[in-house]
Amino acid sequence: MRLPLCFFMTARSFVLSLGLLTAFVYIPAFAQPAAVKVGLIVPLSGPWARQGQVMRQGAELAIKHINTQGGIAALGGAPMELLVFDAGDSVERAKNAAQRMVADEPDLVGAAGAYLSSFTLAVTEVTERASLSMLTLSYSDLLTTRGFYYVFQTSASGAYQSTNALPILLDIATAASGARPKTIAIVMDNTAASVAFVAPIKEGSALKDNNLELVVDEVFTPPLANATSLIQRVRAARPDLLLLLPTTVSDSKLLLEKMNEFGLGRGKLPTVSNGSAMGDPDLLQNMPAALLEGVMSVVGNWSLRGQEGIIEEYKNISGEPWMTQNALSEYGHMWLLKEALELAGVADKKAVAEALHKMDISNGAASYFPGNRVRFAADGKRIDAQLLVIQWQNGVPVSVYPDATAMQKIKWPAP
Amino acid sequence: MMILKRDLLHIMLFCVGYAALAALVGNSYYLLIMTLVPVWAVMGLSWNLFSGYSGLVSFGHAAFFGVGAYTVALTLQIWQLSPWYSLVLAGLLGGFGGLLVGLPTFRLRGHYFALAMLAYPLVMLYIFEWLGYQEVALMMMRERPFAFMQFENPQVYVYLAVVLLALALVVTAILARSRFGMSLLAIKQNEEAAEAAGIDTRYWKLLALCISAAMAGTVGGFYAVVLLVVTPFAVFGMLVSAQALVIAMFGGAGTLWGPVLGAVILVPLSEILHAYYGAKVPGIQGVIYGFAVIAVIIYAPDGLIWKLRAFFGARQTPLPASSVAGLHTKGSASLLACGVEANAAEFILEVKQLQKSFGGLQAIDNLSFNVKRGELLGIIGPNGAGKTTLFNLLNGFVQPDSGSIEFEGASLLKLKPNKICRRGIARTFQVAKPFPRLSLFDNVVIGAYGASHNNNQACMLAGAALQLVGLQDSAHNLPAQLSNRELRLMELARALAANPKLILVDEIFAGLDPESVQVVEQVLRKVTALGITVVIIEHSMKTMVQLVARFVVLDHGALLATGIPQDIVRNPKVIEAYLGKKWLAHAQAH
Repeated sequence: MRLPLCFFMTARSFVLSLGLLTAFVYIPAFAQPAAVKVGLIVPLSGPWARQGQVMRQGAELAIKHINTQGGIAALGGAPMELLVFDAGDSVERAKNAAQRMVADEPDLVGAAGAYLSSFTLAVTEVTERASLSMLTLSYSDLLTTRGFYYVFQTSASGAYQSTNALPILLDIATAASGARPKTIAIVMDNTAASVAFVAPIKEGSALKDNNLELVVDEVFTPPLANATSLIQRVRAARPDLLLLLPTTVSDSKLLLEKMNEFGLGRGKLPTVSNGSAMGDPDLLQNMPAALLEGVMSVVGNWSLRGQEGIIEEYKNISGEPWMTQNALSEYGHMWLLKEALELAGVADKKAVAEALHKMDISNGAASYFPGNRVRFAADGKRIDAQLLVIQWQNGVPVSVYPDATAMQKIKWPAP
Repeated sequence: MMILKRDLLHIMLFCVGYAALAALVGNSYYLLIMTLVPVWAVMGLSWNLFSGYSGLVSFGHAAFFGVGAYTVALTLQIWQLSPWYSLVLAGLLGGFGGLLVGLPTFRLRGHYFALAMLAYPLVMLYIFEWLGYQEVALMMMRERPFAFMQFENPQVYVYLAVVLLALALVVTAILARSRFGMSLLAIKQNEEAAEAAGIDTRYWKLLALCISAAMAGTVGGFYAVVLLVVTPFAVFGMLVSAQALVIAMFGGAGTLWGPVLGAVILVPLSEILHAYYGAKVPGIQGVIYGFAVIAVIIYAPDGLIWKLRAFFGARQTPLPASSVAGLHTKGSASLLACGVEANAAEFILEVKQLQKSFGGLQAIDNLSFNVKRGELLGIIGPNGAGKTTLFNLLNGFVQPDSGSIEFEGASLLKLKPNKICRRGIARTFQVAKPFPRLSLFDNVVIGAYGASHNNNQACMLAGAALQLVGLQDSAHNLPAQLSNRELRLMELARALAANPKLILVDEIFAGLDPESVQVVEQVLRKVTALGITVVIIEHSMKTMVQLVARFVVLDHGALLATGIPQDIVRNPKVIEAYLGKKWLAHAQAH
């Protein structure tokens, strides 16, 4: 068997470069404690590259802040160093990247990633076997039901979101408008995320429990060619609340344009979506901000009150118009790893995992996560994970719930 | 058998060497890549076994791969079935999937077949999404990891992958070096000619797809074991089918080692590009990878393995069938002689009131004629008279609208061409289409499959046929080295190798120089001397007058005249049909 030459060359040049690297860092090593390495594994190529890029910028900003604020005090001010791995465009690539991360960087103490939940599933199979803690914003409940010790889910899980979203929305409506919605319309595509989100509403007893009547129930297969009949039905039924669950930008645009045309847009009909895609800056490249005005979305994390400084700096560095869930979560993950290192007092991955399990903080790093408290259950779910609601106001999606940390007050049209 | 043994030795050396290399590697990342190389090599071999050999392009092998992967993942999730067993199940289900897909899809040909294949994985993808299997994780078995194919030591996965690769290679080698591989190659070359040569093309295609799909299913199951997470896009996605195709074509489709070469180069290349440049210049890996594939397709369209062979000056590729039983090129022509029973009927073929129209065109119009046993009958007529359509009706490519065709007293209607060939009617084609990478001898052996029960017998028949047409000394040559005359004779030999009682010869003299015409004439006389009945189509009357015993003249699909050559050349109707009324007067004046 003959392996291609490049295979050997890479292995050799890798060893060589490792040697050179060691030589270079040798001298400064006297001056300050060795850097503590953490990993970030996100898609930097392929269709999800933009989200991965945003996550990387968030993590890099956190590392910069941690190091300028004196590094890890418990380790004599050791700086943190971020190593980034490209999870690519497929589960296989993501797994390969994770394997490379644990094989080539045995002294990593923790990692974060990997955006898509299927990627995170594959990556955590590797990190679990390598005893490396993995912090993730992925929603999938499967992540924390495999009996893994080294996975930490900081967002509210999918099941939590779908069961709690409706009661929260009704509470918001009641508080904002004084009247509890009695009718609801659902217009959704048939993708997995949308189907999972409405499952407890359609199949469970959520409607009955909340005295709600489902007046429109429309499911379409993306991509949508024409949204007229869908929106006509919504207008005819005049619901108190619309759950609008498209997944692609083109479908969102068609639906919102049609709503605007029928006089339901710009916040006249309370419209709620799910997921951070409805708050993505990319939307503005495809439709005017006016169309999005008033649209709400249920998300796992978003920029909150008190983070204005970070957001401003992030905007300057990244060129992004605002800080999304993806960027903020990775910013927070780096701070959580820093916190765990302080608790562990040693740059060791197993000690870091133990510290994460023991952690119970309500300040510092905890302020980057809704609920403002970070402690993990044995399965890795964050106990205090909460939902956030964002709303497009004046061309920017801002957090409007929970009130304690919301950037703006919610704008709910009077019934 | 020699070549097969050599193949098996190569396979053993390669696999042992690969495993030994894995034993030296400690880095778990390199070991993972070393696991994925054989996985994709098997997938390439699976695609190759079907598409590489048969020439029917499949864009849908992900369907079988995905079925295998989900079989392993779901049986583990639902019944805690160990992959040690479910891998076998994955192969069986994959093969069954091949059968289900093949039965309807083989009604289509060419691009339509390829497009239909493209649809299957897409359908599966949506079905599995709809079933709610967006993400299925293979549970971590902490108690008895070995029983569930979960190992601490990543080297074990490499060894398992190598075992799968060895199995796939052995299966491919055995099949390719047998009648199976030759039949598929014949189908690839010219499906109609293969069918006419007695090869049951539908049967072989189905068998090839089933075995290939079983391979894909098994390796898909193993992929799930390696990846531990199965999603519809990861196993039914377009990239899976494309990867199988690219790997096989890059290395060399229709060869044993091509897909292995493809996987050994492409899998690590794309991964290394991804690993070392992906985070620095996102996307650059796809660009470089794409250019590498384009470059190979431009400079080595048949695959890298042929270029490598040429570069290293390797010997001529082993020729499939000749390897099976050794060369019997010096077979005795008398092997092909037709024993005629004493009480046999005078007519070997009787055609009655045959009708065939294509839309408004009446191609064959109420045609009746007989062929006497052992005669050399010429069917002539101007261009468009319906001669080739008649042959197509006689050997089953086209079914008549009405009328009857009886061969030795039994009807041929509704029989497939390969069945008609097995009854004893062989044909040659107007345009010879040899398979360029097979020797002359192997081109002829393909024709012998319908009439033989084993490879040895096929080689004997092929040898006899070559002896009869006088090409025994060029048996090892490739078609590119043959003259036009030799190609025509090869075509004739391929028909003769089917050991026919009746042979339909389609315009064998077209474009031959006078000397060649004489040689071919001699051969045809020798054929009739063996008791084989010959029916020959020709539009030029000149050469035929000397050769045939009797003429059947067609015009506009109808019988114009029949009789001995001397009468036919003076028949006014024939002269008019060929030359027009003006020339009829001229001819009569003389």
